[in-house]
Amino acid sequence: MEGESGDITASSSNRKCSAVTGSARKTKDNAADWHNLMLKWERLNDDGFRAATSIVNLRRSQSDRLLVDESSSSSSPSLSSAAAAAQQVAAAAELQDECVKLQEVVDKMVAVVTKMGRLMTSQRGIRDLEEFQFGPEGRKVPLFHSWTSKQLEDSCHFLFAAFSQELRLKQTILQEVAHAATPDLGLVYLSCWLHQPFIPPNSRLTLEALLLETGHRPL
Amino acid sequence: MSKPAVISLHQALRRSFVCLENSQKVWRSVLLECGPLMESLGNLAEQSAALSSVQISNTPLRDFPELEDRLRFKLSQATDTVLSKLNDKMSSLQSVRDSVSNQLSAVQQQFEQNSDSLDVIDVTERSAATPSVADMMEWLQDAERHYRQQFLRRKTLLQTLRVDDFSLLESAPKRWKSLDSAEDPVTDTLCKVSFFMESQ
Repeated sequence: MEGESGDITASSSNRKCSAVTGSARKTKDNAADWHNLMLKWERLNDDGFRAATSIVNLRRSQSDRLLVDESSSSSSPSLSSAAAAAQQVAAAAELQDECVKLQEVVDKMVAVVTKMGRLMTSQRGIRDLEEFQFGPEGRKVPLFHSWTSKQLEDSCHFLFAAFSQELRLKQTILQEVAHAATPDLGLVYLSCWLHQPFIPPNSRLTLEALLLETGHRPL
Repeated sequence: MSKPAVISLHQALRRSFVCLENSQKVWRSVLLECGPLMESLGNLAEQSAALSSVQISNTPLRDFPELEDRLRFKLSQATDTVLSKLNDKMSSLQSVRDSVSNQLSAVQQQFEQNSDSLDVIDVTERSAATPSVADMMEWLQDAERHYRQQFLRRKTLLQTLRVDDFSLLESAPKRWKSLDSAEDPVTDTLCKVSFFMESQ
């Protein structure tokens, strides 16, 4: 999704010059918002991954140190224990720092998904309105190229479902990543964060279809 | 002075070495681009191995029943992407190999055509700046064989990888690197013929 932010972010100027109004206007703006929110999510995901990686690495070096301490304490008990303690405190502070960073990222992700939820609700509102205006069949002439309001709503719903599930996963990772019992589990958390298993590959396709349909992308 | 046959053979050799120099540059840069790809291949394998060794149902991730399959899918998709990029790189390496092979056969053909007018002195005579024709042809042949073997080894390495054999995948970057350290006859050759290439 990189490098395409310039295409649509100018929606305020679109708003002035294009002649689309009413439900079509609203839908078109929603599509642009979807695009921007998904870009924002990607950026947050990168930031969060950096924080999570340092958390896992810090934890790993911490447990390594514990092992070393244990083995050395048996042979030379009082060997620079003060220095080791100071080092431990510094590492703990750093770990806390990274956890706070990750918490901030997840908080922002919650905000993003909340906004996505609003987009979906507004899309559903448009469909309800059309049912009210044109009966259960909906409008006779499509708003844009070919999609019905139901199709528009369905794709919003699909995207929202994917992102809210992914957000749940991220929240779980946030709580657990600093407590991973084994290095392998830590790695699994990281690869979950990076690869976003609940965002299917065709979510990107759905977004593009939405943008194409609403005229943001040239047909 | 030299016979016309020797002069034309020298020209052919000079052309080939110029091509060899370019080939070496391309080869090097392609290999440089392969390094990070191999690293990420090993990294993805490590992630897959970790996923296999963790019993998801015993972890806080148990609330996500589809997680393991979905993550595995994403991992194999990412592996696929990396492998197809590597495949493209292999095609570049293959074209380098082919162009060096063509150079070699062009020189050999030239030699065959003129072999009647050449005697042992002509092909073995050398000066401080110009190695003998026999030596240069041998070096060119060595370079061609080097590329051929290198290409084959790397191709074999990639082809023996299996998606489900994580240890094989994890060790792949290391084995790939170990192929680099083998001595590089092409750089040697290019040094030996550098005066010859400059002379006209």
